[in-house]
Amino acid sequence: MFFNSLAFAVFLPIVFFLYWFVFNKTKSAQNALLIIASYYFYSCWDWRFLFLLVFSTFLDYYTGIQIEKGKSETNRKFWFWLSIIVNLGFLGIFKYYNFFVASFSDLLNSVGIKASPILLDLILPVGISFYTFHGLSYVIDIYYKRIKAEYNFVDYSLFVSYFPLLVAGPIERATHLLPQVKVKRDFDFEKAKEGVYQIIWGLVKKVVIADTCATYANAIFDNYTSMNSLSLILGAIYFAFQIYGDFSGYSDIALGVSKLFGLDLLRNFNYPYFSRDIAEFWRRWHISLSSWFRDYLYIPLGGSKGGLWMKIRNTFIIFVVSGFWHGANWTYIAWGFINAMYFLPLLLSNSNRNNLDEIKLKLNLDCVKVIISIFSTFFITCIAWVFFRAKTIADAFSYLKRVMINGNFDFQYLDNERYNYEFLLMIGLFVLVEWNNRTKVEPLSGKRSLLRTGLAIVAIIAFGTYSDYKEFIYFQF
Amino acid sequence: MKRFLIYITGILILTVLIAVVLDVIYTSIFLQSKNRGKIETVFNSEAQKFDVIILGSSRANNHFVSEMFEDKGLRTFNYGMSGGHLFEASLLLKLMIERNYEIKNVILEADLNLSNDQESDGVSAKFLPYIHNSNVIRNHFSEQKNFNELYYIPFYRYLKYDSKIGFREIVKIEVREKTNALDNLGFYPLKKHKNGNMKNNIVNLNPLTHNRYYEEIKNICKSNNINLIVVMTPMCENVVGMNYFDKVKKAYPEIHNYENAVVEDKYFSSCGHMTDEGAKLFTARILRDFFQK
Repeated sequence: MFFNSLAFAVFLPIVFFLYWFVFNKTKSAQNALLIIASYYFYSCWDWRFLFLLVFSTFLDYYTGIQIEKGKSETNRKFWFWLSIIVNLGFLGIFKYYNFFVASFSDLLNSVGIKASPILLDLILPVGISFYTFHGLSYVIDIYYKRIKAEYNFVDYSLFVSYFPLLVAGPIERATHLLPQVKVKRDFDFEKAKEGVYQIIWGLVKKVVIADTCATYANAIFDNYTSMNSLSLILGAIYFAFQIYGDFSGYSDIALGVSKLFGLDLLRNFNYPYFSRDIAEFWRRWHISLSSWFRDYLYIPLGGSKGGLWMKIRNTFIIFVVSGFWHGANWTYIAWGFINAMYFLPLLLSNSNRNNLDEIKLKLNLDCVKVIISIFSTFFITCIAWVFFRAKTIADAFSYLKRVMINGNFDFQYLDNERYNYEFLLMIGLFVLVEWNNRTKVEPLSGKRSLLRTGLAIVAIIAFGTYSDYKEFIYFQF
Repeated sequence: MKRFLIYITGILILTVLIAVVLDVIYTSIFLQSKNRGKIETVFNSEAQKFDVIILGSSRANNHFVSEMFEDKGLRTFNYGMSGGHLFEASLLLKLMIERNYEIKNVILEADLNLSNDQESDGVSAKFLPYIHNSNVIRNHFSEQKNFNELYYIPFYRYLKYDSKIGFREIVKIEVREKTNALDNLGFYPLKKHKNGNMKNNIVNLNPLTHNRYYEEIKNICKSNNINLIVVMTPMCENVVGMNYFDKVKKAYPEIHNYENAVVEDKYFSSCGHMTDEGAKLFTARILRDFFQK
């Protein structure tokens, strides 16, 4: 059941009605309904994995309590590591086992040792990377005594399995979401209205921008050996907007849906393509994951303390691990590594926290500087996206090599029966709308909101791509 | 909550209104479309006289050279449609009759397309803008699974088939951008392809013993005194499962089997589609067999 499916359009109003009109008396009733709805939502993909979700929830719930209750440090450590090992074990088996075995076998074969790996025929459970990280952050926080363990199983289950964030985030923190599910929610008109705006804008991003860009990006990436330089450059740009529209669109819908139930989720995107350097980009892109790695990997590794080499080592570790989190493929690792390389000069020059302020453009020389820095950040991001999108690292290099050596910048007719440049105008319009509203969560609220909403609905209906249906990319992670 | 329910009802009404307005705009633009494709052209046309009308899939579209018929003094148009099934061929013929076309002969390519009586989404979508403007189209689609959604939900058909009849097509109609569908009197010549697929496996294909739309075409022709010539057109040499054509002949003895009329691969662009040269050889044979005075 995808957010942009007819099934969800039926599911959501039913849950909304029951939540506010039938199960609205107590917090427990509200939470129980959301849990049932969430488990139903999840079982629509594959009910068998529901057991895995429930087991993972129970494991973290129980180990969290045991850690808190632990009388000795050894006891606390035991429960802590049990949770970490089992959680990462599941993730490792389902997501990474085949990759490691196949890579190891390739390595052996390359040095002349014949190896025939035993691969598992496994389906990756939807959202496993997301709910595993929910659980991990909870257990780690208890272990380091940042939070108290949750003794109410329903409340804890809702924190892990809440359907808007279950399959593709944002990766929530116990400190943020648990206090909200511990109290009864009263209906707030303004919050619900904000939610509707976010849902509508999320749909614009998904069906108008991401899904249409996908038809161009696929036509170009899948046939890159016959594409000219212009098409290849546009292919990278289309993919950049595809993944942004897809994932931030999903996040907007998740946040919007959650607001309808009176719960605020963490913001996941903050107009990342307007970043002035790569450090700012990473403060604006998939914020809940970046901050997760910062808090639970970078800082425990020593963070920026302990000298330059330590800083560099830790930076590379979190970027590579972050890339690997996306999927078991060398292309994701390369993508993470490239981003770490981009980050390195900023780290060395101690300027990775230069652009913390709001972007303002005034008619002066600084304005040119800002525009150039935004474009150059977008440019290097697009290069990295080529690695993310390509099937293999070799393909990514060939793609980039072809951009440089082909030298043909003619318009080209693509497999999707369109010219390579055709969607640029729509992207330009989208960028303009986002730029003008970059201080807000979405561009529909504020003055003339009815007109803006109407135009967004026109865009969804008239300009969306429906015949070539695309799943949300991040569901596979 | 009451405020929110009013608000959300307003959003839903606004959405429906937008869908209705867009539906009206799109439909009115399609009603003016005349040079984009065969379906639009027939729908928006007046009564015409033809000696020969050619119907079928791409194997009709690429195989019958209309100009060779014209050279014989036969007013001809090739209405074969790439990707089309008999569902669409039948509907197109019904539309011509609705518009009082006077047709003497229909040549129908019926071979591989006899294996199903489903609609071909990509082609049938082109009829949908007119579903509220033609009883023939409405009735033809009325037994399709998604008829109710397509007919009653405003704009749903444009949304579902956006790549065929969506915004892009609207713009192209408005700027009067021509396609090549109507060039060469509807015939689309193919060239020899270096990498053309010259292998085909039709072992698993079986003709339906009673193809609903084939029967429809036969009945329309009969009731309108149109001479119907049904043919199977050539395939390349490397087809696995060529006994399919024998199965067709057995099920439908009236269909003329021309699968071996042209055999050499040099006359084929891909296994199921002849080149311009092959099409000319084939058309000459058809003219000789059916139109020799």
